[in-house]
Amino acid sequence: MQVTKREFLVATAALALASGMRSAQAATAINYWHHFASQSEMAGLMKIIELFGKSHPGIGVTQESIPNSEYMAKVSSAVVAGGRPDTGMVVAERFADLTAMGALVDISERVKGWKGKANFPENRWTGMSQDGAIYAVPAYAFVDWMYYRKDYFEEAGLAGPPKTFDEFLIACRKLTNPAKGRYAFGMRGGAGAFKYVIDVMEAFGSPIVKDGQAAIDKAAAVEAITFYSNLFVKEKVVPPSAPNDSYRQIMEGFRTGQTAMVWHHTGSLIEISAALKAGEQFSTAPMPAGPKAHIARVAYAGNGIMKDDHVDAAWDWISFWGEKDAAIALLEATGYFPASTAALDDERIKSNPIYQAASQTLDFGRLPNRFVGAAGWSESVVNPSFQSVLTGQLTPEQAVDRMIEGLEAALR
Amino acid sequence: MKSVLHRGPLAKLGDLSETRYWVYLLLFPSLILLLLVVAYPTLYGFVISVREMRLTRPGLNGWVGTKHYVAMLSDRVFWISLKNTAIWVTAAIALEVAMGFVAAVALNRNVPGTKLFGVLILLPYFLPNVVAGHMWALLLDPRLGVINDILVKVRILSSYKAWFADPATAMAATIVVEAWHGFPFFALLFLAGLKGIPEDLYKAAAVDGAGPIRQFRLITVPMLRTVITAAVILRVISLVNSPDLLLVLTGGGPGNATQVLSLYAFQTAYREFNFGYAGALAVVMFVILMVFATLYIRLTRVSKD
Repeated sequence: MQVTKREFLVATAALALASGMRSAQAATAINYWHHFASQSEMAGLMKIIELFGKSHPGIGVTQESIPNSEYMAKVSSAVVAGGRPDTGMVVAERFADLTAMGALVDISERVKGWKGKANFPENRWTGMSQDGAIYAVPAYAFVDWMYYRKDYFEEAGLAGPPKTFDEFLIACRKLTNPAKGRYAFGMRGGAGAFKYVIDVMEAFGSPIVKDGQAAIDKAAAVEAITFYSNLFVKEKVVPPSAPNDSYRQIMEGFRTGQTAMVWHHTGSLIEISAALKAGEQFSTAPMPAGPKAHIARVAYAGNGIMKDDHVDAAWDWISFWGEKDAAIALLEATGYFPASTAALDDERIKSNPIYQAASQTLDFGRLPNRFVGAAGWSESVVNPSFQSVLTGQLTPEQAVDRMIEGLEAALR
Repeated sequence: MKSVLHRGPLAKLGDLSETRYWVYLLLFPSLILLLLVVAYPTLYGFVISVREMRLTRPGLNGWVGTKHYVAMLSDRVFWISLKNTAIWVTAAIALEVAMGFVAAVALNRNVPGTKLFGVLILLPYFLPNVVAGHMWALLLDPRLGVINDILVKVRILSSYKAWFADPATAMAATIVVEAWHGFPFFALLFLAGLKGIPEDLYKAAAVDGAGPIRQFRLITVPMLRTVITAAVILRVISLVNSPDLLLVLTGGGPGNATQVLSLYAFQTAYREFNFGYAGALAVVMFVILMVFATLYIRLTRVSKD
């Protein structure tokens, strides 16, 4: 086929026009940064994007997965150098830092006029608000609980999961058998260890921050660190690798039968269910209570608007996550607990005994500590200090001193 | 005469190309590019280091002079990181040079299968640090790691060892991983250097009665001196500046046992969002590297070659 010069020019002009029209349509295209990475999380996200596409055909969502450990680095770089996404995922622990660096757009007025707001009790918004302004719409919750090997408990003659730290210690002693390569508890001593270190400190009666000031009660904190670290140092009821064990290692330990108990949240239910039979090999229970307080975190996660170029489309997208269909789609794919009460009433949650521990935890669970600098202090001070106690480089007293010193510096 | 007065811009450019200024004109675009992508970020790094720049506390931002450098003197983690950086870089480079040299000499023998082995030896270097880190984290895993399994089976260990959880072994384990990952860099450069040494030198030395050790000491090492110097400097710069392998394997732990300056700077910037202090740490690394490179080049006297 021969094409004349004139035909070629006409065709080129038509293509240019068509691409221009496509660009005009793409004005309602928004992008979304998140830290979902696993197969189940991505399946849930894709389902939500598909549902959103059906209900909002004029808006295209481009998702970008960023590893959780690099999420804040990428967002902070985007804030400094430009290149923010339209929307992004916001978890409770990072909310204070994100608002402090001005990464989120105030959406209070939109939330007030949103019909879905009624499905979110006040505590859902607390974790997404700062000085009375709302910056994100809650989507799902990570409810802390304990996974335990039901079969190991029966084998050891234990009637049920421990309800207090004292019972927990007794169970740990009974369940540990190094000769079999079996340890009672999968302690997280590597990345993310701070979470449970802080929980145990609060369970022993030490607050962390009060009215913006460091408020660690040294005596209570030392008692807490001594109890928790002794599980490794003296009692030896946790695997020897604990000082470097992070999420992957504690999950592997539990799934492969090395450990009998592990503390985590509802988000790992699907992963554990894929390896062990729910109700027979493993079950779930609320976190055991400490001597002074019963601590378990309920961390709501949501989505916020990070720039206002396509603010209407961005709002449609983040508020869609709060709707029942989206919440159930995510629950089915990942096991992530919905933040919306409308979704929580769903039969798939109410009739599933494995979720009862999470439902009970919702009654007493606390939001994670929220203060500017919390993430940096937790990871850069609490983690290495606690690791040093585990490895014998510091005493609990010295570790708590460093935590107090680091907290005061972080709050300055 | 008229044609000379109304000469076009191209003709003027032609005239300019005949002068000594032409070379500067040709260099100008490169100079602009270098200023933009090298000089500006470097200078900006220096500027950040004398400012408070905390993303989560914008109200504090501003000029602070030498505050970060003074704070560094009493920063416990800084001194640990400095010491660990020296250990990490020195040990890893020593291992990499030794392994690279052995590999290069073996590959230079031109025996059958050399090309295949050449590719196999280079494989670790092709792996990104993050992939290599995760792979070794699994190989050395205290539950499932194949290396622990082998060591137990051959009775070197009585039980699986958590290499990265013990401060006594964490640094050594990460150095071994780094050496495995980085030695092909030296092997490649040393091999190129070995290929450039005339065979006649070895033949003449052999005629004069020099054995393999003397040939190595008196011919190979002096002839490779420039290559060794360049390779060591490049690798030191790369190691001092790369926190990714340690980030994956240990995150600097347990209890800062494997914390190095680059990782500390990275964590200060992206965990604490304290870009000012992180900038000061980066400037210190820059100065250390400059001093090292200058001294090393002088000591090896390579510039005189």
